[in-house]
Amino acid sequence: MTKCPACLERFGLGDYSALAAHLVAQADASDSGHVRWLNQNISRQKMPARELEGRLRAFFDLEGKPVSVWIKDRFIQKFYGPTPHPFPVALQHPSRATLLGYVVEHQHFLRQWVRSCAFIMARTDEPAVARYELDNLNTEFGGFGTPAPSHYELLLRMGESLGLDRAQILATPPLPSTAVGIRAWNRIASEEPWVEAMAAMHSLELIANRELVQHGATLRYFDPRILQGTEVTHETQAFLREGYEADVGHSDEALELVEQFSTGPGQREAVQATFLRSADLFDDYLVARLERGTQFEG
Amino acid sequence: MITWLPGSNGGPSLKVNYTACAICDSSWGDLWEEVEGQRLFFCCEVCAVQFRNLVARIKVETGWPTVDRLTIAGDRRGRNAEARHGPAIYRCEFAYNAQGGLRAFRGSTG
Repeated sequence: MTKCPACLERFGLGDYSALAAHLVAQADASDSGHVRWLNQNISRQKMPARELEGRLRAFFDLEGKPVSVWIKDRFIQKFYGPTPHPFPVALQHPSRATLLGYVVEHQHFLRQWVRSCAFIMARTDEPAVARYELDNLNTEFGGFGTPAPSHYELLLRMGESLGLDRAQILATPPLPSTAVGIRAWNRIASEEPWVEAMAAMHSLELIANRELVQHGATLRYFDPRILQGTEVTHETQAFLREGYEADVGHSDEALELVEQFSTGPGQREAVQATFLRSADLFDDYLVARLERGTQFEG
Repeated sequence: MITWLPGSNGGPSLKVNYTACAICDSSWGDLWEEVEGQRLFFCCEVCAVQFRNLVARIKVETGWPTVDRLTIAGDRRGRNAEARHGPAIYRCEFAYNAQGGLRAFRGSTG
């Protein structure tokens, strides 16, 4: 099944003609989401549906590669290309404001993350996927007692170490882009096929995968030198180190499971589209972290 | 109906450098909005909001009653602009959130 990467509307297997007609119609109506997708992924130059069909076919062509490799390549282009996303740029040597923006918005993201993983677990019959998500839930939210607090707990401690009260962190509502993302990820996880939800959520962990530089990424999530010394607080180092050490194998393992369980007709096409939708939501959400950070400047 | 209002130089107000969307130069979409007396093309509502917010901010920062010419460069990760009002020039760097609001802005009179 082919899906629209801007709105996830469904079309027939390999029917890029219908997808192109849909995108052109939505663009003619000046729909922001569809125009944005065309601008950022195909061209800012308007073209007829017949020409767009060919461009779409080429864009989604796996060229014999695993879908996991296609996802990784697209992710790098979007977040770590020649003009990288401004959040990892700011995180190289982060200010207190950048880190607090991270804390306040990310606590909302992580709470949805748990729901999304739980939906995937509930909707799969595959023991390997259930085990993977169970491990993920424990690492991200449950924790393993005092020696290994959850990623969520480490995030809150980072905020406290920067002078923000935990109650204040938890009581601050999300910015609009974070709220939009949470609603959309919740819908994807609960309504789209679980293998698409898995691709949508766990592809996002590529952001902290330090090995992306070996695949063409122009920078890492942050400069690893901040994990030493006193440039950031000890609690910040603990939070960042957890992701830095975990997400290499972690995101790869998830994408390998997506590869393994998306072998049915049209499943990989649908995985591609749902991943792209999630990546756009994530792009906006990362900007929201920076926007929140500006409230702590000065 | 296209409305033309005089700028500070007596000519039509607010000239822009792009031939397509006034913010991103995309030719997708079909949205026309009047800004500063000039009817401008935008690819989508978010770009229209971005443009209006930028012009409003420049007017606040400079105290100008109108903007005669606005030249925008850059991409969605960050843009810069040169604004003119008569002989006066104002330059700025800025970035938007997903709703079209200015989340970062730094200006200088050149």
